[in-house]
Amino acid sequence: MKTIHWIILGILFVITLGFEFTVLAGYDSHWWNAIPAFYALFGLVCCYAIVYVAKFIAKNIVNRDFNYYD
Amino acid sequence: MIEFLTIPGVILIAGALLLPFLPAKVRPSLFLVFPLLALIVVFTRPDGYSVTGTLLNYDLVMMEVDALSRIFGIIFSLTAFTAGIYAYHMKELGQQCNALVYAGGALGVTFAGDLLTLVIFWELMAVSSTWLIWARRTKETDGAGMRYLIYHILGGGLLFAGILWHLATTGSLAVETVAREYSVANVLMLLGVCINAAVIPLHTWLADAYPKATVTGSVFMSAFTTKSAVYVLLRMFPGWEVLAWFGAAMAIYGVIYAVICKDIREILAYHIISQVGFMVCGIGIGTEMAQNGATAHAYSHILYKALLFMSTGAVLYATGTSRMVHLGGLFKKMPYVFFLYMVGAVSISGIPLFNGFISKGMTIDAAGYAGNETAMLMLLLASVGTWLSVGLKLPYFTWFDKTDNDIEVKKLPVNMYIAMGIVAFACIFYGLFPGTLYMYLPFEVNYQPYTIYHLVEVIQISLLTFLGFWLLKKKMAPEPIIALDVDWFFRKAAPATRFVFVQKVDAFYDRVEDGILGIARWLTEKFRNPMKWLNPFTKDTNEASSYSPSMEVVMSFILFSFLVFAIVYLL
Repeated sequence: MKTIHWIILGILFVITLGFEFTVLAGYDSHWWNAIPAFYALFGLVCCYAIVYVAKFIAKNIVNRDFNYYD
Repeated sequence: MIEFLTIPGVILIAGALLLPFLPAKVRPSLFLVFPLLALIVVFTRPDGYSVTGTLLNYDLVMMEVDALSRIFGIIFSLTAFTAGIYAYHMKELGQQCNALVYAGGALGVTFAGDLLTLVIFWELMAVSSTWLIWARRTKETDGAGMRYLIYHILGGGLLFAGILWHLATTGSLAVETVAREYSVANVLMLLGVCINAAVIPLHTWLADAYPKATVTGSVFMSAFTTKSAVYVLLRMFPGWEVLAWFGAAMAIYGVIYAVICKDIREILAYHIISQVGFMVCGIGIGTEMAQNGATAHAYSHILYKALLFMSTGAVLYATGTSRMVHLGGLFKKMPYVFFLYMVGAVSISGIPLFNGFISKGMTIDAAGYAGNETAMLMLLLASVGTWLSVGLKLPYFTWFDKTDNDIEVKKLPVNMYIAMGIVAFACIFYGLFPGTLYMYLPFEVNYQPYTIYHLVEVIQISLLTFLGFWLLKKKMAPEPIIALDVDWFFRKAAPATRFVFVQKVDAFYDRVEDGILGIARWLTEKFRNPMKWLNPFTKDTNEASSYSPSMEVVMSFILFSFLVFAIVYLL
């Protein structure tokens, strides 16, 4: 990933925030619409949660050698 | 009779019976004709069209068309056609015939108007698809195929038992929505169908067998078994709340395992479980929008999952391995496959402009509109996991990451690229023109996927998930491991089960056999010379033959006595 890629992604994120606080400011279909940038936070938190939970399960319970069942 | 031969499922199965009599050269081309014929039939038959017949005393409806069966019929025929192109270079008759029977089975289930027809095609699918696993002919695939077959025989048996019970209690064989009550018949049928839909914890056959099937076989497998089960659930069990929770749970279960797994085709297999979870959840919610969402998602899913299995199959074909630990750095060697894979990957992740976006959003929103915000958030969490594992982890560790991978890459047949190109085009086409899919859905569609809210939601989730992946990617790096699943319980229990139910039973039969032979031996010895019994003073050395005249007299006397007794008794 080059710096330019990060900048493009950053701009895209800022645009979505812009829409969220202008066009969608009055939008209220779920309780979480009141939380600013909820979906961004949700994405990041869930990503961390999935990786760490998966890692924990893998390490402690399910990971075995290739020839485990042989 | 002519009508019978125009049933889409029968067309494909007839094709499979015809293929062995044709020269090997024309077989792959002719393979493609049958799905096309089926597609023409599906498009030209109006709503309410039916083909009926009788078997024993039962009136069968072997084909019945409505909006729901049509949309599944279209996608099953299309997939059989594109998978046929993908497998064009493959000359193995067994795989060609079984793939056609398999696709025919799925189409047969889709158009079956009665439960007996349905279960016949259902079992045909199970048997023919097993061949596609065994066709790799390794020790590993022999075992996986057997486990797959046993699981599906169990599923088919449960479904059939449920159907018979249903017939006995209601007297009806129609494929229709059943009363929402946990009667024995309904539970048996639901369990049978849930096995094929890979609902956790009945899912292990899928993650076990699909990654081990042949390169071309897994493309067929990714489309038919689970989605025909989704169709039956939509038809018979819409609105069963238990399905909503199992669906949401399997959506998350699938993505967690996809993060754990280190084999690219196994990751995709777990993602079938996850994606079918979205559909099962939609069916469980049961509103018109949710059912539309489940149907649309099944349609989209078959397309992008076929594309994903095609492109990872291409990697396996070219490199000879699907284990991530051996892959990496393939971008320069297989750039086109990467781009085609990414079309499938962004589609499954529900990125705007691709077909996953127009169907996944509908299913998730349907959960929200139905007031089930918990299920909605669970499905959104699963979406994060999908993008993380199929959209980022898999391609990163397959095509990038390493720079010094000197793995040999075989040239791919052109037909593989053509098939992937067609399916990739379809993924983009439906993403750009959602109306072309929505018009075939069973209920009227009042859903607009391209709203600012929806776009903001998806883009924010995807961007921050990407950031998370980039920060945590080392934690997902390839390792030489396998991941155990709940099949551990019966795979580890197998030796004990074999000991109790096979070896012990065998030993028992052996003992009984020895005992019977022993008795026979004893009796033979004792009756060799009955004179010893009749005359205690007979010498042991005397043979029976020397007594024959007197024996005849004795035996004649006994017989005569019986005769006299019988006559007296009867008169």
